[in-house]
Amino acid sequence: MTKTIMLSVFVFFITLAQAQQVEFTEYDLDNGLHVILHQDNTAPVVTVGVMYHVGAKDEAPGRTGFAHFFEHLLFEGTENIERGEWFNIVSANGGSNNANTTQDRTYYYETFPSNALELGLWMESERMLHPVINDIGVETQNEVVKEEKRSRIDNAPYGKVIYSTGINPYMFDKHPYKNSVIGTMADLDAAELDEFKDFFDKYYNPNNATLVVAGDINISETKKMVKDYFGPIASGPKVERVDITEDPIEEKIIATDYDSNIQLPLTALVYRTPSMKDRDAYILDMISSVLTDGKSSRMYKRMVDDEKIALQVLAFARSQEDYGTYLIGALPLGDVELSKLRDVMDEEIVKLQTDLISEREYQKLQNKFENRFVNSNASIQGIASSLATYQMLYGNTDLINEEIDIYRSITREEIREVANKYLQENKRLELDYLPEPNE
Amino acid sequence: MKKIIALLLVCLVGTSLSAQIDRSQMPKPGPAPTVNIGEPDTFTLKNGLKVLVVENDKLPRVSASLIIDNKPYTEKKPGTQAMVSSLLGTGTEKTSKDEFNEEIDFLGASISFGAESAYASSLSKFFPRIMELMAEGALMPKFVQEEFESEKDKLIEGLKSSQKDVGTIANRLSSSLAYGPNHPYGQYVSVETVEDITLDDVENAYRNYFVPEDAYLVIVGDITTKEAKKIVKKTFGKWKKATPPSTTIPEVSPAQYTQIDFVDMPNAVQSEIIVQNTVDLQMADEDYFPVIVMNQILGGSFGSYLNMNLREDKGYTYGARSSVGDSRYASRFRASASVRNAVTDSAVVEFMKEIDRIRNEKVDADKLEDTKKKFAGSFVMRLEQPSTVANYALNIETEGLDKDFYETYLEKINAVTQDDVQRVAQKYLKDDQMQIVIAGKGSEVIENLEKVEFKGKEIPVLYFNKETENVEKPEYKKELPEGVSVETVYNDYISAIGGEEAVSNVNSMMMKGNASVQGMTLSFTSKSAKGGKSLTLVEMNGMTLSKQVFDGEKGYAAAQGQKMDMTEQQIRDTKVTSGLFPELSVSEGAELVGIESVNGEDAYVVKLTDNVREFYSVNSGLKLATETTAEQMGQKMTSTVSYLDYSEKNGVMVPMMLNQNFGPQTIEIKIEEVKLNEGVTDADFE
Repeated sequence: MTKTIMLSVFVFFITLAQAQQVEFTEYDLDNGLHVILHQDNTAPVVTVGVMYHVGAKDEAPGRTGFAHFFEHLLFEGTENIERGEWFNIVSANGGSNNANTTQDRTYYYETFPSNALELGLWMESERMLHPVINDIGVETQNEVVKEEKRSRIDNAPYGKVIYSTGINPYMFDKHPYKNSVIGTMADLDAAELDEFKDFFDKYYNPNNATLVVAGDINISETKKMVKDYFGPIASGPKVERVDITEDPIEEKIIATDYDSNIQLPLTALVYRTPSMKDRDAYILDMISSVLTDGKSSRMYKRMVDDEKIALQVLAFARSQEDYGTYLIGALPLGDVELSKLRDVMDEEIVKLQTDLISEREYQKLQNKFENRFVNSNASIQGIASSLATYQMLYGNTDLINEEIDIYRSITREEIREVANKYLQENKRLELDYLPEPNE
Repeated sequence: MKKIIALLLVCLVGTSLSAQIDRSQMPKPGPAPTVNIGEPDTFTLKNGLKVLVVENDKLPRVSASLIIDNKPYTEKKPGTQAMVSSLLGTGTEKTSKDEFNEEIDFLGASISFGAESAYASSLSKFFPRIMELMAEGALMPKFVQEEFESEKDKLIEGLKSSQKDVGTIANRLSSSLAYGPNHPYGQYVSVETVEDITLDDVENAYRNYFVPEDAYLVIVGDITTKEAKKIVKKTFGKWKKATPPSTTIPEVSPAQYTQIDFVDMPNAVQSEIIVQNTVDLQMADEDYFPVIVMNQILGGSFGSYLNMNLREDKGYTYGARSSVGDSRYASRFRASASVRNAVTDSAVVEFMKEIDRIRNEKVDADKLEDTKKKFAGSFVMRLEQPSTVANYALNIETEGLDKDFYETYLEKINAVTQDDVQRVAQKYLKDDQMQIVIAGKGSEVIENLEKVEFKGKEIPVLYFNKETENVEKPEYKKELPEGVSVETVYNDYISAIGGEEAVSNVNSMMMKGNASVQGMTLSFTSKSAKGGKSLTLVEMNGMTLSKQVFDGEKGYAAAQGQKMDMTEQQIRDTKVTSGLFPELSVSEGAELVGIESVNGEDAYVVKLTDNVREFYSVNSGLKLATETTAEQMGQKMTSTVSYLDYSEKNGVMVPMMLNQNFGPQTIEIKIEEVKLNEGVTDADFE
């Protein structure tokens, strides 16, 4: 009898998990381009995306911001797409497009009504094969990137925290993660045309890229088109990956920074975390959820609701290929001292290090992560970028369906253990982020 | 049999070879995908709540969104609605706030409340419970003083923290100017208005406006209509039938003339520009489709006129966009961008240029075609979201649209002509009544902004404070370059007037001049000597009008026969400027405070005491003015002496024109005679 119940529970679990399988096919072209196809014909929409395994961490010294600058440059046109036409073509065919750069990779994508699939493949293959990289483009995009920096970071309240530009220099010493993705104005100005061309030759090759096509497609027709458009592109040299080991932080770093766009200070504790591929990174993700995710999370409930010492609590977990950072912070309410906020945050961390979270909290985490998992596959565009990310950065495309199993397998004991391992006072940055004093 | 297969293979290879792609040709899109707009199931509860259900089982989740479509109203105490919104969900008649939040979090779900809305989403297995919680939070709230105080504090802190946010301030001013400060869309929430709000105000606003008369509940996801009906009846069936209070919305009046409306944000590294005018446009209007097409071309996408000019051509901004709102009540045309300080004026010029272009030039036929295709594409892509079907049905209901509005949507887009685009541009983009709202760093941008012309005329600049009040043009301080100090400013001044050697040879100086005031001639004599000694004498027809004497330590002022000794404060204020070239040494407390404009020339400002400031040209180094503040009968009065027409006397540059400014009055003193090292005795300073 017991056995039957066990069995039916098991069956129930299986169906639940299968109800939302993202099916996909993946293979390599001869030139090394990795291809992932996902068919879903429920809406007449298709996304074509290409992820290149190059990001800010691959930049040459003195060239911060280069990878992101380069991403802008690759919208300037190709041998068959005139300058300034890229966006018009996308728009005229009812599509939308964008690109983004992180420390680890650069991702370009278009989403179209499904009758424009071939167009999307053509455009991305044009970009990979022969983009036009010239002085006009460099000059224009130099200004645009600087404006992006001003509006996103320099003019944004708490910009240096949100974009880590005021954090990473403390957290990394040798690893290029110490630099920001957006870079500095001086470095942006210093880049020469030839450097952009070399960068393209070095990193923008099919063997350093993943093509993903998702949505209302026919697999065999799509395979043929992919071969037609991407097959003839020659592969390039093998890319050397950044391989730098940081020494552990042994002594607490104390820092103060200022922001002219804010009136309320912020205090933050920042920890260096392992690669996002590491099981511990998943566990830290759950720890973050216990502390700050939702109104019943421990820090929110205590600091904002019960003791009314904080206006807001926040957490940023930056997961990256080599190392991550995890920031928890709070904005004081009224005249509360920043040191008081730090003390309370510390108490909450110590609790996690000492006691197991309750069974109910544990079940809450499971529900939360299941909800997150279901919602992460809600749009074709989202599925496309997840597939490419799992394949390229995690080395396991199946994670799109199986990542939830990792979270499900994490135990309460592991949570306590990892809190002890990473959230140590002597291994962190304590940052007071204050309003710029008035002149 | 094998042969046939082989033959087939050859054929296949043959076709694939001959089908070699020509990548110089852009692939043409295939036939348009069929679009199928479903219709939601609908039913209405007895209390008036209308329910729309869209079944979609692609993912195991369901969402519910409650929209109360009340007419907007002017708040007596702006911020009350925000308080209703933040207090909903902080406890109910049945459940404490902590238990309520904990249960939602436990289920991994989310519920949020607005002043006249609510939203919930969860995995489908938890949906029945989440609907119960949503209804409980929305219909049975318990507003308590403690939560009220806490939410109020948070709202106030939030408002304070946004005081330096350039975007927030620009939006605030633009709404206020577009709709007027008493319009529901124009009023803004401030620390003061929030402080006035009481718990009663919040309860009243909730009771009056959170009513089912014009309410819609939209349920989308992995659920059947039958299940949804059962759940909704159980949860929202008890909502008491009621109608919101009737309200009149103030008229919106357009700007009288095209203007720049400026608010100073000294911390800004970019200026926020919003070009706007109000429009009268509803979705049901005939002009609706031409207008959205027109806006798409002007600033609706990356490839639009505005973005291609301001971003791609000039690199002024990360993005420039425009929109034309539609509303049953009031809406506006709005074009905006964040641009770096130095190009603020140029960006305004380009904005106006593109607006002028779409009004006066017929749009390119291909561009129009491409734009229509863009609408078709977005229309198709929106259908990926199951909520779209519900939104469309809701719009038909609330906006009073034809039943086939969305079925014929693409036909109506396709019917828009080049003439239509130009016609609606002229009608809705009112270039003679535009408000160009700018929040930016005054000291860096205002000088050039004042020179911006449109159609050959300078655009008037109006000034506002962060509270959206019209103010006089403020003085803008510029930032000091590095390495500049009082010493360097003084050194530059001394070398500008002849150098230390020439200056130190001067032991005394006498200046005589005349001024004309209301037809009478005043004669003016000034004497100064080393040791901080000075005398100023004003006479008319040989009669002394006023005399001021300072011997380096003490002094007096005499006027119309009365003599008054200087007070301690006056002595302090006189000591720092009196005598010959006090700039040879830096007096105690002297401070370089910034750069300001004096008669259009940038000048370093040296503050000597609380009442005395002197100005030295950034360019020439010469002293341009002395500003003295004195208290008279409880009122602070500022007088300024400007030094003009410097010319050389015995190797030293001396101003030959002194302008004395006192309130609205200006006296021009023309110097006739200058004597160095003669005509001055110690007796002059007694």
